[in-house]
Amino acid sequence: MKVLLVDDSGTMRTIQKRCLSKLGIEDVTEAEDGVQALELFQGGTFDIVLSDWNMPNMDGLQLLKEIRQRNKDIPVIMITTEAERARVVTAIQAGVSDYLVKPFTPDSLKSKLERWVTSNA
Amino acid sequence: MTSTTTGKSELTAEFVNPIISATISVFEMMLGCTPKRTGLSLKADHIPEHELSAVIGISGKAAGTLVLSLSKSVGIGILDRLVGISTDEINDEVCDAVCELANMIAGSAKAQLEHLEASISIPNIITGKGHTVHYPSNVVPICIAFDSEIGTFTIEAGFSDR
Repeated sequence: MKVLLVDDSGTMRTIQKRCLSKLGIEDVTEAEDGVQALELFQGGTFDIVLSDWNMPNMDGLQLLKEIRQRNKDIPVIMITTEAERARVVTAIQAGVSDYLVKPFTPDSLKSKLERWVTSNA
Repeated sequence: MTSTTTGKSELTAEFVNPIISATISVFEMMLGCTPKRTGLSLKADHIPEHELSAVIGISGKAAGTLVLSLSKSVGIGILDRLVGISTDEINDEVCDAVCELANMIAGSAKAQLEHLEASISIPNIITGKGHTVHYPSNVVPICIAFDSEIGTFTIEAGFSDR
């Protein structure tokens, strides 16, 4: 499984990479913002995208829309502090596959990733 | 106190309980420790209590600033608890970890105030003793003090309506 992991925080990428590693997923490509992520997405093949929402240059919502223009099937999971109902609805309308609100417990991150990693393995 | 200032103070006060619950929740979930609130006061200046500040701008029907203010040792403790990396200096990793924590606190607090339709900025770090933070004019910031297993810290915030 190839994962595209998008977050402007290196700390959050480290936390998520460790969780993926515990699930046996080591093929993780990192991006610091939506622009970098879109370039990587267009130049590679990925099985799942994990993305933050608030990032410089291009945010996660715009990245999601760009990805959906190119691929309607790839799972895209937003992992974000944006917890308001209106934001979640906006993300769903843009085609998000799943949503995890920060802060999260290690178990909630693991179970969320496990669901998608297992179903797409 | 003018009526305008009173209105702005009331808006800032509306954030107090959401900020407190958000801070406790973020520390518990991400750092595995429960901070205890030790004080609540109005600030006489715009100088944060500690030498390291993660500053987040808030816009929407409420506009203002939220600051996570902490010491070098607490910043180092946050990095250690979040990702298990030990250091003895304020480096990029410490700043990133502190910014992310502040981002989660601001995001969680604003989610409890959905009617304000607020957006949060990307966090910035300011270091050094005696630095100042910008708040909207005529806003008196609040200072919420906490103690925790990794040390003391404050959340400072001030908001005005739009």
